[in-house]
This record gives sequence, C-alpha cells and structure tokens, in this order.
Amino acid sequence: MDRNELMKWIKAPAKMAHKYSLNAVYFCTGCGIIEVPPTITSRWDAERFGVVPSATPRHANLFLITGYVSVKTLRAIIRTYEQMPEPKYTVGFGSCTINGGMYWDSYNTIKRLDKYIPIDGYIAGCMPRPEAIFVAVTHLWTLIDKDMADGYKRYRKNYAAYRANQEMVLGKLEWPPLFPKETGTGTADGAAMAMDVASHTTGRTG
Amino acid sequence: MRVLWFILSPLIALAVGLFFLGLSRRIMARIHWRYGPPLYQPLIDILRQFTQKSVSHGRLFDIGIVLSLAGSIVLIEFLPFGGVCPMSSSGGMLVILYVMLLMPLGVALSGGEAANPNTSIGISRNLILAMGYELPLLLVLLALMTRYETISIVEIVSAQREAGPAFVSFPLVLSGVAYLLILPAVLGVRPFEVVQAPQEIASGPVAEYGGPYLALVTIQHALSLFIGTSLFVNLLWGGASNPVVLILKMLVVFVLVLFVNASFPRLRVEQAVRYLWRWPSLAALAGLILVATIGR
Repeated sequence: MDRNELMKWIKAPAKMAHKYSLNAVYFCTGCGIIEVPPTITSRWDAERFGVVPSATPRHANLFLITGYVSVKTLRAIIRTYEQMPEPKYTVGFGSCTINGGMYWDSYNTIKRLDKYIPIDGYIAGCMPRPEAIFVAVTHLWTLIDKDMADGYKRYRKNYAAYRANQEMVLGKLEWPPLFPKETGTGTADGAAMAMDVASHTTGRTG
Repeated sequence: MRVLWFILSPLIALAVGLFFLGLSRRIMARIHWRYGPPLYQPLIDILRQFTQKSVSHGRLFDIGIVLSLAGSIVLIEFLPFGGVCPMSSSGGMLVILYVMLLMPLGVALSGGEAANPNTSIGISRNLILAMGYELPLLLVLLALMTRYETISIVEIVSAQREAGPAFVSFPLVLSGVAYLLILPAVLGVRPFEVVQAPQEIASGPVAEYGGPYLALVTIQHALSLFIGTSLFVNLLWGGASNPVVLILKMLVVFVLVLFVNASFPRLRVEQAVRYLWRWPSLAALAGLILVATIGR
C-alpha cells in the first residue's frame, strides 16, 4: 500500500484518490452479500483502506455484484451501473457472475455478467471469504495504477454491443441509451455475444 | 488585517471542519472496535469526488448547492473566531438566524430539482427536524439576549469573558442544558440523523449528488459542523480570546456529541420532534422565564 508516499500523490493525485477512496455499492443479489457485513464491520474493517459502503450509486465508484444475477435484477444492475459517475470499477463476486456457478442451467439467471456490463475483475469461489474482497481490492489498486481498470471506457467504446446484449435478454429497454449509439462502434471483441440468451428464450439447453 | 480575516476564516473553518469529519470517522471506528481510516480520509474523498464526472439535473441543481455553500461561508464571517470577527460591526444574532436557513434551503432547492423520492423525503424530514429544534433554540437565544441585553454575538462573547461562561452562570443554566440537549439535532447526528439516514432513504437530500457536486456537499457538511460547534462555544461557553483555544473548546464539544452519536440509535422523525418539543423546550422556556424574572 503506497497511501503514505507523498511523491505519488503529487505525481498523480486523481489516480491515488480513486485508489484509496473506493465507495462501494454492494448489490445484494445473492448469498454473497452475507460476506460483506463482516468485511465492513469490526471483524475485518474495510474502512482502513478507504472502502466504505455507499447508499446510492451516485456517490460510489466501486460496484460489487455479490452472487447470481437473475434476469429481473439485471435491469436494476444496468441502471445502477449507468448512474455511477466515471471512473467506476466493477467487481464480480463469486462464481455465479463468472459462468453462472451452481445456477449454470437455470432458466432465469444470467451466466456471464461481462456480456451486459463491463467487469474489471472477478473474485472466484463459492463463497469467497471476506479476505478475498481485500485481495480483490489490492488487485484493483494495481489495475488502477497501470490504467488497466478501464471497464467504463470499454462500456463507452462498445456501448452498441452491450446495449444489444441487454436488449436481447430484457426486451426493449425503457430508458434511452446512455451514450449516442454511433459512438459505440465496438463489436463482439468488447462485449461477447449473448450466447446464453438463446437458452433463455428457447428453453433449457443444459 | 481585517480583509485578510475575511478570506482566512472560511479557510480555517474548512480545515477544522474536514479535521472534524476525519476525526469523527476515526473515533466512531475506535468505538466500534475497528482501526478506522486515516485522519485525512475526507481529503482523499473530496479529491476523488472532484475528479469524477457527474451529471447535472438542471440549472437549479447547480445553483442550489452553491447557494448553500455561500450561505455557510457568509455565516462563518459573522461568527466570532477567537477575538476576531470579520463582520463584527453589523448583523448580530438575527442575521445568523436568517442566514442559517440558507444552508438547508439551498440543498432543498437543488435536491428537489433531481426529483428523486428519497430526496423529497429527506428534504421534508429536514424541514420537520428544523421546526423541532428551532423552537428551543429560539427560546435559548431569547434568554441570552435578555440576560446580556444585546443582539450582538460579539458583545455576548465579551460579556461572558468578564462574568464567566453563560453555561455555568446561575440564571442561564437551564438554557445551557436545553442547548446541550438539542445540539445533536442541530449538528444532524444520531439520534437525530433522520435527514441523511443512509440505511432508510439512501442519504436523503444528497442522494442524487455525484462527482464534484458531492464534493461541494461534503465541504458544506464540514463547514456546517464548524458552524454548529462554534455557535455553541461562542454563545454558552464564553468563546475564546484566540482561535486555538476556540478550536480546542469546539473539539471538546464535538467529541462529546460523537459519543452521543455512537451511543444512540436513530429516532423516527416524529419521535425526534416529540422529544425536541418536550424536554429541551421545557428547559429553555423555564430558563427564559428565570432570566426574565430574576436574571437581569
């Protein structure tokens, strides 16, 4: 941790501030949220590192999605993500956000969250321990240092593809596009095609 | 010299307010048996918020928060700051009472523009809470004005310097008790944290602020902490002859309020008003009668 190194603050104040003031929106989708209270309270005390829960997405810059994502919650997740001010970082917590986890053959959960909003990093496991959140935060610091936590830039660049994926699952979205459609010219390299949508619409394939 | 203080006193107030914010997070952490963030964490937060991009919800959204911030800066110019008071010759307590309204009003104006239901609930709670604590506050101020026969806060401070702090002088004891009882409500901490209430209404009036707007809100919050404690110290604890002593006295008051904050759960808004209109108001009323009959 280089929070006390004055030279780094002088050289890149914004980057350092983003590293050490991570206000997190914990999206309590699944069982993963049970690991968060010990993390933020006296047992592990995430506030030491500037990680505090925030009540509204407008205040936050870290989005922690803890557990499986059903189609219904995906709508709320997208809206929450789009309301956060840039730069913003997203971390998927648990196997469910990576590949569906134990819900891999469920008819109404999302298998890969990365297709719908950009994810900067995952915490694998079912469940990951609270320590894993700290490991994730230190990894996120490294990523911010190297300008590799660029999920929000990918979202802007490939917005058309992300929006298409979102509309494939949710149907027509009732909110206007966040960015003008023509700016998001990226294709499947940024947002993988929504493959599990087929299984969602035509029934189980697993 | 006086021009210098016009610029210097809001800056010192900001530094002290930010220090209070950091200290409050630290002390709360220690009471929770945690280690807590560094003292300069509010500075990191403000830096982070200033470098984030955010959306505006309209013209009034931009103006309102600036109005609120301007209100607190003007208010600081009217407060005696340990021997110096930039606006000592004009105004007095009536101006302070009026300008104090600008702080919640600005946030209400700009938060209302965002049209978030949590914001509306927060604003209405803010006004209800203000209605609750302004009755005893006005009674306390009336008692002080009657006792010292002036409306100037500077003269109240100098009168206390001769006769000892108002808080411990006989006819004003009840008023002092009443002010102590409403101090958490004036500062907006638990058990009167009904306005922000992050767990209930998602930070209330400030729910829609992000990025630089949130930074301005944090700065305004720091200034309002300074104003709340400074007003108490100046009115009832005799102020101070130099800024360092004033800040030390404010620190004592603030830490006491923090212990109250850590010990009590949040009241519902009607419970808060019921409390504020019962014991503090009764004490303040009794204090006023005492001062008016035998205290002069």
